[in-house]
Amino acid sequence: MRYAKAVLTVIILVAAVTSLCAQPEKAGREKVVVGVIGPMAVPEGQAQEKAVKLAAEEINAQGGILGYRITVVVGDTKLDPNTATSEFRRLARVEKADVIIGGFSSGVMNAMMETMAETKTLFLADASSPEHAKKVEQNYEKYKYWFRVSQNNGSTFALDLADMVKFLRDSGYEVRKVYVIRDEHVWTDPVMQALKPLLEEMGVEIVKDVKIPRGYSEYEQLILEAEKLNADVIMPVLAISGTGDILVKQWATLKPNILLAGHDLYAIDAEFYEKTNGMANYEIFIADGGALVTAPPTEKCREFVEAYRAKYGHYPESHQAYGAYDAVYLYKMVVEMAASNGEKDPFDPEVLVRYLERFNASNPARLTRTIAFYDNHDLMWGDNYVRNWISQWQDGKQYIIYPPSVANGELKLPPWIKK
Amino acid sequence: MIETLIQIFLFGAVVGGIWGLVASGFSLIFGVSRILNFAHGSAFVSSAFLVYSLVNYGYNLYFAVLAGLILAAAIGTVVYALTKPVRDREVMVIILTLAFALLVQQVLLILFGDRGVSVQPFIEGVAEIGGLKVTYMRILSLILAVICLAGLDIFITKTKLGKKVMATAQDSRAAMMVGIDIEKIFLLVMVLSSLLAGFAGILYAQILSVNPEVSLKALIYAFAIVILGGLGSLRGSIVASFIVGYILVTTITFLGARWSEFVMLLTIVAILVVKPTGLFGVRE
Repeated sequence: MRYAKAVLTVIILVAAVTSLCAQPEKAGREKVVVGVIGPMAVPEGQAQEKAVKLAAEEINAQGGILGYRITVVVGDTKLDPNTATSEFRRLARVEKADVIIGGFSSGVMNAMMETMAETKTLFLADASSPEHAKKVEQNYEKYKYWFRVSQNNGSTFALDLADMVKFLRDSGYEVRKVYVIRDEHVWTDPVMQALKPLLEEMGVEIVKDVKIPRGYSEYEQLILEAEKLNADVIMPVLAISGTGDILVKQWATLKPNILLAGHDLYAIDAEFYEKTNGMANYEIFIADGGALVTAPPTEKCREFVEAYRAKYGHYPESHQAYGAYDAVYLYKMVVEMAASNGEKDPFDPEVLVRYLERFNASNPARLTRTIAFYDNHDLMWGDNYVRNWISQWQDGKQYIIYPPSVANGELKLPPWIKK
Repeated sequence: MIETLIQIFLFGAVVGGIWGLVASGFSLIFGVSRILNFAHGSAFVSSAFLVYSLVNYGYNLYFAVLAGLILAAAIGTVVYALTKPVRDREVMVIILTLAFALLVQQVLLILFGDRGVSVQPFIEGVAEIGGLKVTYMRILSLILAVICLAGLDIFITKTKLGKKVMATAQDSRAAMMVGIDIEKIFLLVMVLSSLLAGFAGILYAQILSVNPEVSLKALIYAFAIVILGGLGSLRGSIVASFIVGYILVTTITFLGARWSEFVMLLTIVAILVVKPTGLFGVRE
């Protein structure tokens, strides 16, 4: 009898341990926790939070993910790497987020990727530095949980800008000389490194490459200098300066015989025209993130911007909204794929990485944009995927003017340009 | 070369004129009530944002400017009321005015976001002076700034009320003993200074644009200029504003945009090393 009791106890213990081992990682799951992280005091973070909440609300209304309701938890990076890593860890460990979405700012992203690796959390991310994807290339096992969803690798900006010059030439606007005004910031260096040879190949000279500090406002002098140097295009490469609106205002006031065409992050803002009193008219810019409010590239994108407006009273305040919204749906898709393939734990990040990797050049996910990943988990660039569409402000509306596959408008030269 | 000189002269004068309006008020407050008003930039940006909003709602530009100036004056009154009980404790004044400035900045961030807004200019178009394109608004801003600064100087030196302000600045206790209501003078100076900052903000938003962060920039510029000119010296601040304007513009022209603020701050440090009291300051 004594032996029988001991044997029974061992059997019960073994059974308990075995059953625990056989359980999925999150036994007794009641919900799906989606973390969103970003700088919540600025539009880039706010748009991500709103977009994730909107997607979660829509998915919950349709029954959630595999029947589990989505709960959204929010982390604020405050654009500080230390805060960002603490917040990421809190979302992963305390809030037990199944997936974390967002980011913004390459330096902050670098820091968060380390916490992601430590916590082995799936991270559907923003930010544009080529360094992030390089990490996945160099140490796949450690960084494989990272996927860039929001926007393309920053090195592709040079391809977009070169295409912009080529497009202007093909449209009859001769470009021989370009005057560059760019952020004095590390993100513009690889862009310029890649852009210079591309322009040289086309026989285009960079007559001056001016770096400006954050908050710089005296653009009039630069515009006058560009005019003196007979530039055909003033090409901003601006995201950090915070004063792209002043550049466009001074350009429209001085009306030089030069086009303003380049990367001006502020021009993407749907309210940019109003905020500049219409001075943004005719500015040519590239639409980061591959979507514009007035020129949505897919039907889902059209529905999204309208739903966003209906819920929040305004259109997305930043292009990060598209990526964050897509990320929630992408997560839902891979979890459901994993479940339908009989995976033991369809929420396991180790499993989901493999399913996310299935979205490649020949099998993209069609969401607000057409999403596919390279082997290093970078967002695929191209006319058929996501790229920074060449766009223009025309009478209060943003139009994509290149490539033809998505264009909904044509190039319009400002009336004061005589070429 | 002549074109370059005209460019430096005109652009430097405009930049100097606008910062002169901000700095002169900052200097006046310190000179009279010995307060370092860290909320000075709040009037600068708030008035511009109000003008932007009212114009967008369809109000007349000049009505909107008037409303913007009233808001600036109201901010001056609030700062006066906040600092009155702690005026003798310098650190408390700094903390209080800085907290108020941050509060205003946060409110503006919530209402307008961190992107810049432009105010419709009083006058549009571009003039050509010696082959150089200059917007009419820049020229008008320079004229308005000079009128305001000259008016302020005349008010302080020639009018009875101005002389009371001067007397309070020189010795507030003595002024009180001869029957000057120094509290009224403190309030007047605070409102007047905020009005100047508010007007500068409106002009700034007409030529450039403002965002909530510009309040900090305005404060830093005002502080640097006032120290350069000599703490409490009104004329020193005005002269220093134009020096700063010319340094900025000359640096952009000859060295490049990236060096502009660096060279400006370096020059201020160099001048202060040689003359620690600033250009027009006197040892207390």
